[in-house]
Amino acid sequence: MSAALRSFETQWRARAPDALQPIREAAMERFLKLGLPSLRDETWRYTDLRSLAAQSYGEAGCAATATATPIATAAGAPSGIATLTLVDPAQHAATLTMRNGCPLFSSDLPEINGIEINSIKDLYKQDSNYLRRFFESASDADQRRWVLLNTALFVDGLYLKITKPVVTPIVIRHLATGDAAQAAHPRIIIDASPGASATIIEHHLSEGDIAPLSNSNTHIALGKDAQLEHYRVYATGAGATHLDSLDIHQSENSQCRQFTIVLGGGLVRSSLEARLNQRGASLDSHSLLVGHQDRHVDCVNIVTHAAPNTRSRQTARAIASDLSRVIFNSKVIVNAGANGSDSKQSCRGLLLSPSAEIDTRPQLEIHADEVKCAHGATTGRLDPDMLFYLLSRGLDRETAQSLLVYAFLADVLTGMSVSSARAAIENELINQLPDAQTLRKFR
Amino acid sequence: MLEISDLAARVAGKEILNCVNLTVNAGEVHAIMGPNGSGKSTLAQVLAGREDYEVTRGSVTFEGHDLLAMRAEERARAGLFLGFQYPVEIPGVNNVYLLKAALNAKRKAAGEPEVDAYDFLALIRQKMKFMQMSEAFLTRGVNEGFSGGEKKRNEVLQMLVLEPKLAILDETDSGLDIDALKVVSQGVNSLRDPTRAVVLVTHYQRLLDYVIPDYVHVLSGGRIVKSGDKSLAQELERRGYDWVMEAQVA
Repeated sequence: MSAALRSFETQWRARAPDALQPIREAAMERFLKLGLPSLRDETWRYTDLRSLAAQSYGEAGCAATATATPIATAAGAPSGIATLTLVDPAQHAATLTMRNGCPLFSSDLPEINGIEINSIKDLYKQDSNYLRRFFESASDADQRRWVLLNTALFVDGLYLKITKPVVTPIVIRHLATGDAAQAAHPRIIIDASPGASATIIEHHLSEGDIAPLSNSNTHIALGKDAQLEHYRVYATGAGATHLDSLDIHQSENSQCRQFTIVLGGGLVRSSLEARLNQRGASLDSHSLLVGHQDRHVDCVNIVTHAAPNTRSRQTARAIASDLSRVIFNSKVIVNAGANGSDSKQSCRGLLLSPSAEIDTRPQLEIHADEVKCAHGATTGRLDPDMLFYLLSRGLDRETAQSLLVYAFLADVLTGMSVSSARAAIENELINQLPDAQTLRKFR
Repeated sequence: MLEISDLAARVAGKEILNCVNLTVNAGEVHAIMGPNGSGKSTLAQVLAGREDYEVTRGSVTFEGHDLLAMRAEERARAGLFLGFQYPVEIPGVNNVYLLKAALNAKRKAAGEPEVDAYDFLALIRQKMKFMQMSEAFLTRGVNEGFSGGEKKRNEVLQMLVLEPKLAILDETDSGLDIDALKVVSQGVNSLRDPTRAVVLVTHYQRLLDYVIPDYVHVLSGGRIVKSGDKSLAQELERRGYDWVMEAQVA
């Protein structure tokens, strides 16, 4: 047994049982039996967790540690990441903060018509069955290994119940504080009633470069005709390790527009599993994966069309510079009987350095007859025709190249409806591109 | 202004131009005609500095400078402009930003200050009006979603803003309806003056009804096989390219 596994087991044994005990116990048993995923596991073949496995992890506490430095200011922040503000405070938006997975409810918790915000712990204390359906996932699938651990060890989390159309964007700031020998298991449940709609932004950030291992899970359930625009933005420090999973369950005619933006962290593993369970459900997934310095980004999308006439679109743009590595694995599964399913996967990668690496793997698994499924993946360098066009207009080579890189990536963001978030992300994106100074002139 | 001498060039290992000689003086308009595959577009791209086109022999001077020693961006800043046959779409790079960056690159090379933002917009609007282009152009990506005709108008718009000394227009007339052809021709004519020169690369004579050339050359098999005045274009229209080539053999 690895040191990491042993330390998780120790934490588990030290925990006092709570109302979720049977579910947690089953999850922990599975996790210990299966062990940490390794390169032999299908969805982990590009991400080596051996150094992670060799470490022992303590629990990242909910309280601010005495040694923790305050959130870095613009001048002292590592490449400005920790200060990334997604929604202008002057704008109408509600912000909820979680520290190492624990909601920090302040007295001025925003009151928004159409949305109920609760601590998961409070809810299951009152009624252990109420949230049960969100925790039962004893699947052995290798991409779900860490979700089992999250289920066993999460301390608290947020449950958002959306009951009506909500206009105000909700921002969840996930703050990771502490050291790398700790682990946190943030948990979010977003439950949208039939006909409800909302925009929810999950923003992962850390205090400084070093942060606890974050093993987070978000579960989204969309009722009939519900609509959700969901962002997850990783902007943690360069020493942070993040294992994040997102589960999306969609009912009839529900629509989900999802944006996954990797602009930070040292190792980011980001998975998305969507199930289009009923007719007319539609998912648009957009991924912007920025490999910078020695960052390792491993993105896994698995979309299951489980009902007829469902629709999915997956668009990913990856860029890798310096010594970074970016992986985008996407899979569409069309179940038997899910006729009329319509799916498209498009992944384009751009290598900016000879030492960087991008791996893309679009996959299709079709068990129905009448389906429309397309996929494409390309990795290369800048389009020579575009480059020549800009040069022939007198732009210097560096400017032309950065403009094209920026345009290539920013394309993914065009569908974002929260303009301030989009602008902030574009700005941070520019910071991580070569020749940022020139690019700023074009904004 | 432009002196091409014994120019030979290869594309992907294949010799496309083998012995091009051409002199273009300030104030002149030259038309280069020829059948498909004769090397017209290659010549235009070579002059603009496309790197994957390999010059194997000959020389080109532009205003006394060795053009072949200059990079594409240096040629542009020195006042050479290529209007593309197939202008590429660049989503995410705004039309106006590109124009502004291009103009400023040229001004910087000439030791002039950057253009004032307000003056620039006024200039663009004026030129757009002249080219009968819609306001939507201002917010779109470079050539993004443009029709063939709109792309060609955009090429000419860029030319009018950059005011090159030498404009090489590669089949700028192809794919245009008659109204667009008139607008584009009007744009080209507005640039004619004793200090500038224009090289029109075209397959058909019809553009030359609106932009009257001083000289017409026929390019065939990678070399200029016949030169004349505008009546040569009319003759080609009547008798076809085979006539020139047969005359060559004879």
